[in-house]
Amino acid sequence: MAEEKYPINIWINEERYEKLKEAGLGDMCEEMLAGLKVLRVYADEEQKDKILKAFPTAKFDSATTKSIELLPRDVKDKIFEKIVEKRSVEIMGEFLNAYE
Amino acid sequence: MAEIGHGGKEIVERIMEPSEAKEKIKGLKAIPVRPQIANEVIGIAYGFFSPLEGFMGKADVEGVCKIMRLSNGVVWSLPIIFDLSEGEISDYGIKEGDSVLLTFDNNPMAIFEVEEIYDYDKKQMCQDVFGTTEEKHPGCARTYNYKDKFLGGKVTLVNRPKINPPFDPYFIPPLELRKRFKEKGWARVVAHQTRNVPHTGHEWLMKGAWFQTYAELSIEKPLVGVLVNAIIGEKRKGDYIDEAIILCQDELRKAGYFGDHNHMTSLTFWDMRYAGPREAVFHAALRSNLGLTHHMFGRDHAGVGTYYGPYDAHRMLESVQDELGITPVYSMNWLYCPHCGEITSEGLCNHRDEWQKFSGTVIRSIVQDGVKPPRLIFRPEVFDLVMECAEKYGFGSPFVTDEYLEKRTPVFTFSEI
Repeated sequence: MAEEKYPINIWINEERYEKLKEAGLGDMCEEMLAGLKVLRVYADEEQKDKILKAFPTAKFDSATTKSIELLPRDVKDKIFEKIVEKRSVEIMGEFLNAYE
Repeated sequence: MAEIGHGGKEIVERIMEPSEAKEKIKGLKAIPVRPQIANEVIGIAYGFFSPLEGFMGKADVEGVCKIMRLSNGVVWSLPIIFDLSEGEISDYGIKEGDSVLLTFDNNPMAIFEVEEIYDYDKKQMCQDVFGTTEEKHPGCARTYNYKDKFLGGKVTLVNRPKINPPFDPYFIPPLELRKRFKEKGWARVVAHQTRNVPHTGHEWLMKGAWFQTYAELSIEKPLVGVLVNAIIGEKRKGDYIDEAIILCQDELRKAGYFGDHNHMTSLTFWDMRYAGPREAVFHAALRSNLGLTHHMFGRDHAGVGTYYGPYDAHRMLESVQDELGITPVYSMNWLYCPHCGEITSEGLCNHRDEWQKFSGTVIRSIVQDGVKPPRLIFRPEVFDLVMECAEKYGFGSPFVTDEYLEKRTPVFTFSEI
C-alpha cells in the first residue's frame, strides 16, 4: 500500500507566483476554490506528526481537505522560500531538520 | 403594547435606575464574578434569556436536565446557574434570603437575591445536557469547573454595562431590537447564528435562509430581514478575534452584498456550551426573545467533535416546535462549483465530482497567510477589513493569541455608581 501523504497548502498570490515562475515551478501550481492558486508540499505520516507537535497552532483538517493547515505565517513563508531555493517541493525532510 | 417573549411571558428589563441603585446596594456583601457569570447576568437582566429572572434554583435545574423544561413547564434546554464553593459561601456569610451585590472588575453590577443554596450532581448534569460525561467535551469541562454549591435567585442590574468600541452599536437588547424591526417594516426576521468572519459560503447560507423565509410574502416592499446575531463570549486561541467577527459580518451590508433593507448585525454575550441539539433549542428561545420569527439551523448546529448526529438538533427542535415562538429554517451547505462557475447549494448542483467545498480551516489558513482569496470565495472588502482588524485590535493577527487575550480592550466594563 502506498504511503499516505498529507499536503500543506501554500497559497500563491501574484508575488509568489512570479517567484515560482522564475524558479521554473509555475506549472506546479494547482487551482482550488474558484481559481485560487495553491502549491502543495507533501508530508508523510511521521513528518505530519512532527509538524503538529512543533507548531501547536497547526491543524490537520481531517473533515474536508485532509491537509495540514494553520501553520504560522512565517513558517509558511520559510517553506515557500525553501521551495524556491531548492527548485523543488521535496523539501519537508530538510525543512524539518531545523526543528529537531 | 407588551412584548411577549419565549414561554409567553412579557419581556421586562430588570435594571434599576442609578439613584435607586445607589441606595439599594449600600451595605450589601460584594461578590466578584467571572466573565461567564457577567455575560449571563446581562442576558437575564435585558431579557435575552426571558422568562428567566435570575439564576436557576434546583427545581428548575432538575426540570431542565431531565425533561428540558423549567419548573413552570416552559421549554428550556440549558442550566443557567451560579456557583460558589462552600468555603466562599461561608467566608461571605451568605444565607438563603440574603441579597448580595455582584461585582465585575471591582465595580457594582447587579443585586442577587439568594433564594436557594443547593447541591447538584455535575456528572449527571453533563449526561443529561450533553449526552456524555467526557471531560474533553467543552460543555462538560465547563460544568466540571463549576464550584460545588449553586445559588438560585433573581438578579437585577444596578449598573448598565458600558459596551466598548467597536462593539457598542451592536449591543441591541431584545426590546430595542424589536422596536428596530418594526421601524424597518420587517414582517419576518431570520437569525444567523455565528462566531465567524463570513466567507461566501456563510453569505449564501444567509441569502438562502432569506429566500426560504420570504416564501409567500408580498415582494412589493422589503418584508424580510436577516439578523446576524454573533455570539461573543470566551475566546480560545486560534478563534477569529471578536472585533473582526462583528465588523466583518456588518461589512457584508456596508459593502452592498446585503443592504439596510434586509440585513442587520447584533451580538449576544454567551459562552458556548457546544451542546448541539440542546444548544439549538436554547438559540431558538434566545432569538425568539430578540423578536425573530425564523432561525437558520445547518447540519450539526452548535455541536462539537462527533458527539451529535448532523440532524439531531433538527429532530429535537421538531419535538418542541409547537412551544417555540420561532420557525426553524434548515440550511444545506453551499459550495463552489467550477462547472457552474458559482456558489451553489449541494441540494441543487449535480456536478458532484467537481465540487469545491468550503472548509473553515482552509479559509482561515488562507487568511492567516495574508493571501487575498478570489471574490467568489471571500469578499475583498471583508478580507481588507480582517487585515485592518488584525492590525488595529489583534496585535497583528486576525486570530486570538496570548497577547490578544492579555491586552485586548474588554467588550464591556462597568463604572462606579
